[in-house]
Amino acid sequence: MATSPPTIATQGYASTDPELAAIDSSVRWPVMACFLTAVHWMVVGTFFLVYASSLSHPQDTFPILGLFVSLSDNFSMFTYGRIWPAAIDALVYGWATTGGLGLAIWILARTSHVPVRSPATLLTAVVFWNLGIAVGLIGIFLGDSNSVEMLEFPSYAAWTLWLAYALFALWAVVTWLSRRPGHDHVAQSWLLVALFSFPWLFGGGSVLLDGKPLAGSGVVQELISAWYVHGLYTLWFAPLGLALLYYLIPKMSGLPIRYGTKTQVAFWTWIIFAPWTAVHDLVGGPFPAETVSTGLILSGLIFLPVALIGMSLVGTAFEAEKKHGSHGGIVFPFLTLSAACFVLAGIAEQILSIRSANELLRFTMFRECNLFLWLYGFFSFGLMGGIYYIVPRLLDFSWRSATLIRAHYYASLYGILLVIAMVGFGGFMQGLALENPDPQVTIDIADQNALNFHIASTLCVSLIALGSGVFALHLGWMLLNWVNIRVRANRLASEILHEPYEPEGPAAAVKKEVGA
Amino acid sequence: MISPLTTRGFFLLIGGIFLFTWFGLVVLPWSYLGHLAPIQEEGSSDITPWDAPGTAHQGEHIYAAEGCVYCHTQQVRPASSGADIIRGWGTAKDDSDDKAPPIVRRTYPRDYIWQGQVFLGNSREGADLSNVAERFTDAASLYRYLYDPYILNPHSSMPAYHFLFIERKISGLPSQDALALIGDDAPPAGYEIVPTDEAKSLVAYLLSLKKNYHLPDEKGPVPATPATPQP
Repeated sequence: MATSPPTIATQGYASTDPELAAIDSSVRWPVMACFLTAVHWMVVGTFFLVYASSLSHPQDTFPILGLFVSLSDNFSMFTYGRIWPAAIDALVYGWATTGGLGLAIWILARTSHVPVRSPATLLTAVVFWNLGIAVGLIGIFLGDSNSVEMLEFPSYAAWTLWLAYALFALWAVVTWLSRRPGHDHVAQSWLLVALFSFPWLFGGGSVLLDGKPLAGSGVVQELISAWYVHGLYTLWFAPLGLALLYYLIPKMSGLPIRYGTKTQVAFWTWIIFAPWTAVHDLVGGPFPAETVSTGLILSGLIFLPVALIGMSLVGTAFEAEKKHGSHGGIVFPFLTLSAACFVLAGIAEQILSIRSANELLRFTMFRECNLFLWLYGFFSFGLMGGIYYIVPRLLDFSWRSATLIRAHYYASLYGILLVIAMVGFGGFMQGLALENPDPQVTIDIADQNALNFHIASTLCVSLIALGSGVFALHLGWMLLNWVNIRVRANRLASEILHEPYEPEGPAAAVKKEVGA
Repeated sequence: MISPLTTRGFFLLIGGIFLFTWFGLVVLPWSYLGHLAPIQEEGSSDITPWDAPGTAHQGEHIYAAEGCVYCHTQQVRPASSGADIIRGWGTAKDDSDDKAPPIVRRTYPRDYIWQGQVFLGNSREGADLSNVAERFTDAASLYRYLYDPYILNPHSSMPAYHFLFIERKISGLPSQDALALIGDDAPPAGYEIVPTDEAKSLVAYLLSLKKNYHLPDEKGPVPATPATPQP
């Protein structure tokens, strides 16, 4: 039997750069905790979304719908008005934000070239963050929601979230502050903007709108709400996702970012103009006309950063796909799609900044198109690609099956792109009826126009749910295998270590007697 | 790090841009709209708009908890912007004068000053509710609609809210609030379906939603008046 001391060989997935490998291993558990819980919330949120979306059909569309409808009729927990916000919040905070925090700390540590000190702090923050989400969702189901878009979590949950976030972000910023000199990366600026905006947005929104509403302020609440929702898209999800793309696209493809010198212009113009997309929710409403007009002009200018970022990222991604063939691999297309969806989301915002288009689409499903473009299209594709890239490096272990990754990819590709197309086009059709100058056209006709698109989007969201289920099971399988192999390797190691001390021959008999 | 900026310069600039957005989007409009007072006509003690009763304010919480705002708006855009007026969502009967033509108008910030929480909404799967009390004038019809929207509108995509009602055995005289239901919805003999407190406050809130008064804002911007202390 072999007696050489056992070495736990690396599987060859960790970074070959010992410095990066050390950084990866320092953030392994916080980032894994973020990703695991994020994927869990993605599955939960998407299933809620399937349920909520199917409630808008006539009862006889699907066989199972009878059950859904009778649940919704008889139990307050299952009514559309509670499930829908729960689904969106589970996706926004549970999936996107938790995963985004994992991305942020990983990219910040790597680009700063310092390992994270005391990762247990981050792990604590992640635990409380998830606790806040769970409590918030329960609060919504029990009727504690205040129906402020994306701030539905009751104030007790919001405070938990804010504190957990503050702990996490503080630690991330500390890591960045102790960065090795000379290690600056464009991704860091995007991450810092994101880490800095979220507490501002979430704190401001929660304090001003959660719990007791502002007395005598009336419509100001809606101004703050619009500022919050669009701030979340443009100053939280957009910078986080862009940081990932700016870091990973060149890294995976080995190509420099195209038009790299324009990055600064894109960065500053984005953070100046993009938050003004908030006024897209105010056009025609009871608000000062000058605020809306100014906002439409400023938000219309986002074509500048969108075009620059699109040319850089989509250009580089396409070039990489061409260079490497077969779409740049299994994981790379996720990033390409994310970059492409960023441009699409920018175009959707651009459409809404045109007053007449906004009037047509203002109250239709097109708003969901906008939400899905940011959340599912741009951010989820990026985050999924990021998870596929990062987890093997953290665990030094490979994904179990390329087929499962492809299955997830195609389910997400068709599910997400089609749902965006369905709610986008459906919104247009619905708008044509809702804003029809003929008084005979009623809202029932608008709903009829929208109905088939609702049914189609339920099917698409089901496909996304299927894909995310595959994703979650694959991640679970990988983790089980990893644990299993670690346990076996440790057992083997201890057996081999003990071997030389195992007495043989007559000495064994003596030992047995003594032992007995 | 982007650009030749120092860390401090970077954060100052980012903070400045955030403050600029916050100021332009929230603080400046807030300074116009935050403390609008009701209008008091000279020689009269009436104020417009008038506050809703307490049960209606309780109903706001039910409206929020059940998420009505995800399908219903409460804002009427001007005729120049969208077809809200054409859909009839801005139409209300003038209560002060029976012979007067109905009031047809958009909503103004002043319409919302008494509401604890404002639900302007961003989606119109359902009708606008700014003047819902003009279309449903009594509690009974609203109860019936909430209990089962399909009775009155077979095309409705609105969910039913059975859980806002209870079925109970009739003891003595039937309750005044009991729903007049027929067909599949009707309770078994000897039983009645009555609204819970939640349903009652929600309906009180919905019945408070009507803009059946004129505002001076219709003639153009109103000069700021010294705000009267509000209760």
